[in-house]
Amino acid sequence: MKKQWIKSIVVGLVALSVWNCKTSDPEPTPYESGVFILNAGNFSSNNGTVSFLSRASQTVATNIFQTANPSLVLSGGVQGYTEVNGKGLILVDNNTAGQDKVEIVDYATFKSLATLKSPDIENPRQVIQAGPNKAYISCWDVSGDFSAGTFYKDPGYIAVVDLNTRTVTKKIAAVKGVENMVVVGTEVFVGSNAYSGNKTLMVIDLNTDSVKERIDFGSTPEPIAVDANNKLWLRAGSALVRVNPATRLTEQRLTFSETPGSVVISTDKQAFYYTLGGKTYQISINATNATGTVVISRSFSTLGVDPQTKRIYGTQNPLLYTQAGYVIRYESSGALVDSIKAEIAPSGFYFR
Amino acid sequence: MGWFVGFIAGQQATAQSDSATTSRLSNAVSLSAVTVRAIAPERFLAGQKIQRIDSTTLLQFRFASITDALAFNTPLAFKNYGPGQLATVSFRGTSASHTAVLWNGININQPNLGLTDFSTIPVAGFDRLAVQYGSSSSAVGSDAVGGSILLGSTPSWQPGIRLMVGQQIASFRNNQTHLGAQYALPLGASWKLSGKSLIYRSQLNNEYPYTERQHYFLEPSTTSQRGLIQDLTFLHKSGRQLSINAWLTDNDLIQSPQDTLARERTRTQSARLLATYEANRMTIRVGWIRDILDYAKGNLNNPSHTQTNRFITRIEREFALASNRPYQLTLRTGAEWSHYGTRTDGYGGQLIEEDRADLYALLRFQTTRWLLSANVRQAFVTRFNPPLTPSVGAEYRLVQQKRFTLTAKGAVSRSYRVPTLNERYWADLGNPNLLPENGFNLETGLATAGALSDHLNLTAELSAYRNRVDNWTYWNPTTNYHVENLQLVVARGLELTTGLIYTQADWKAGIRLGYAFTRSSQERAYDAYSQDVIGKQLVYVPLHSGTLNTYLQQGRSRISLQMQANSRRYTTFDNSQFFKGSVLANVVLEHSVNWRFMLVRIQGQVNNVFDTLVLGVKRNAMPGRNWAINLIINFPSNTQ
Repeated sequence: MKKQWIKSIVVGLVALSVWNCKTSDPEPTPYESGVFILNAGNFSSNNGTVSFLSRASQTVATNIFQTANPSLVLSGGVQGYTEVNGKGLILVDNNTAGQDKVEIVDYATFKSLATLKSPDIENPRQVIQAGPNKAYISCWDVSGDFSAGTFYKDPGYIAVVDLNTRTVTKKIAAVKGVENMVVVGTEVFVGSNAYSGNKTLMVIDLNTDSVKERIDFGSTPEPIAVDANNKLWLRAGSALVRVNPATRLTEQRLTFSETPGSVVISTDKQAFYYTLGGKTYQISINATNATGTVVISRSFSTLGVDPQTKRIYGTQNPLLYTQAGYVIRYESSGALVDSIKAEIAPSGFYFR
Repeated sequence: MGWFVGFIAGQQATAQSDSATTSRLSNAVSLSAVTVRAIAPERFLAGQKIQRIDSTTLLQFRFASITDALAFNTPLAFKNYGPGQLATVSFRGTSASHTAVLWNGININQPNLGLTDFSTIPVAGFDRLAVQYGSSSSAVGSDAVGGSILLGSTPSWQPGIRLMVGQQIASFRNNQTHLGAQYALPLGASWKLSGKSLIYRSQLNNEYPYTERQHYFLEPSTTSQRGLIQDLTFLHKSGRQLSINAWLTDNDLIQSPQDTLARERTRTQSARLLATYEANRMTIRVGWIRDILDYAKGNLNNPSHTQTNRFITRIEREFALASNRPYQLTLRTGAEWSHYGTRTDGYGGQLIEEDRADLYALLRFQTTRWLLSANVRQAFVTRFNPPLTPSVGAEYRLVQQKRFTLTAKGAVSRSYRVPTLNERYWADLGNPNLLPENGFNLETGLATAGALSDHLNLTAELSAYRNRVDNWTYWNPTTNYHVENLQLVVARGLELTTGLIYTQADWKAGIRLGYAFTRSSQERAYDAYSQDVIGKQLVYVPLHSGTLNTYLQQGRSRISLQMQANSRRYTTFDNSQFFKGSVLANVVLEHSVNWRFMLVRIQGQVNNVFDTLVLGVKRNAMPGRNWAINLIINFPSNTQ
């Protein structure tokens, strides 16, 4: 122990002398621990941002990408965020075709490391870790006119990102309106947007980055999470469905009176939170019928659960996305903690 | 400027401009009402500011859209989506539908949207441009809440026929062509004819050599514009006059043209026909306007379609109640009736028709020192009740010397806006029971003009205003985006314009400075979140803006610098986000030569010389430094 301590001092001194020669400050890591709020921005204003909320604070640091990179801009709605091996991937969805991108940042400083652009990235929807140094990004591809039926290009694709080279190494042709992805073991279950009309649950092999199986699902599958028993849950229409990932068979189908919103899994993966009919509910993964218990007697456009504090985060937006929205925090019991002003249209969380 | 002469400036030759100050001073005599053909707003709004854009400036912006001409010469703020794309105005802190755009006295705002897309109005489309500041609904009618833009055609009576060819070649593979003729000839012993025919086309390919500027993308888009102007004026020696004006426009914008799935096409076509007969203090106008708006995404062959036709008749009679005394008292009365027919996919596709009528009386009293006006208008609209709209204004010449005048001004006016057809008829969301917006505008100012020496002339005007608009309409998300009269907007501001012109022998130099302070905010709480919005500056309205135009001319060569600056523009209602302030500058070099029988004018211009980054509404970069070469050939050369 003591030896270690002396060693640290020596290393420290050496480092300090080198550092003195360089006369540059060490990179501060202001975003080491806290909550990232993903603000989608206003439709067509391309003004999405990421705000940072330290858990003890009631004030967000706004637009931290801009703060860390004064000469760069996101210019789009922030659609998703995740971290892979110390690097953050911010999905940026611009309203104009060809202007979407993914910013790869240092996770602690948010300094930009690389930018992935069109045609690699077109309408990015979700990003997940798909290996030690690999990310999958589901992309709708270029979207056309909704009323003409050309909004969702068939098929969309999954961009495979190598975080070492910081490039898109492969595009896996996926399903129309491809969106949610959940990793189970060495497979990824891929679904699509509820409005896409696609009814195929796709399985991708993580080792080969190729499609392994297409399962006809009856309704549009939207994978949500893997529970404590390692079972896959999806939303399909107004039902939450439990699937055995090994057999691909449906084990449980909880059909609600209407589509449950903002479904998120609890920290212990034993329950889901969701919104329905103006309230926020909790339901156990072992439930046999679609009857949850009310946790908060109001609903939110997005829910998040902080794994550290188990607190529930909900977003509440003014009806026009032309002014900042709010994040409201609750204890897991449903007791109100506080309300925090975020930026334009908060619609996602990343807890660290 | 003052009552005295400003009003004739538009009627006189178009080429004089810089000498306007002197002409104004020397012509400070009362005018007989008959000779004044200017439309009502230019004569009956005492106490309010009017700014005429001189013909030299218009010639410099000959190949530009009216957006640029106004942005570099007035404090009007534009919400701009990109080069050749939608541009809407905020005049004195009001919204895009609070500016009336008049063409030869007729409001040409697109009635479904209630606004004008300024990118579709090329400067080549008119001969005169004036800006009327402040509410002038009593004289202008609907929409004149923040102010009015007055476009006009001016007949030229110089005998003979003159042809004009104009060509612009610009950066990004953009180009434009104008072909025109002006002619005047006697028709028998009593009549003479003046005419102008002009066709124009422009093709903005916007092929930028870069896809980003300072990490902001540029949006790929192309705009093709075509237009035809035909003006004919028949003048009788008695002063009776018949004019026919036609203006056809076709604007075709394609965004993301490279992608057949995501491309968007917005096609705006207008046909405007107007006949005006003036005799014995009476004016009769008959007009017909068709506006077509087509929007398509992906498959461009099946657009959503909007078509609105308007038939307009207006009769005005002016009475000189007292004219041979040391004062003049003039009354102008008018009646207008128009019939609207609109068919829009968004209204359900059926034909919706309505009638609008206006009755008004405008009174003008003038002495050597005083100019007073009192106006009242009542409009009638099918299924809608506009309010009675009065206004009074006064100007008093505080100092009246041979070479220097100082005039104090003040005006109080109400304003109204007939809600747009979309606001009233859009399926499910429109609200046929909307109340009229209720505007109340107060303003005061000081104007001066003087000759500082034999060579140096100064003009300056300072105005302050407060414009309160209640029942401001709002597509209310709380009620599923139904339109409601929810907001109260108060705009207040200061405007300062000064001009200095130096003339000596063959040399001429001038500088014009404009500064505006515009504070405009929403003041009423109407939902749980409005606390974050109340009192905040309206979006895209800079608090401070300024323009600077300066030139140096020797003989027929001239170098000009045009500058426009504005402070930050907020992009969200709660002012949490904004675009940074910016300074734009253009340099224009011009030279005219007589070559054989032609007068050749060459302009070389460098736009955005500082390579400033300016963002459009969608957060796309506007182009950086770019250039254009303009060639305008007039022949025979004994013309301007």
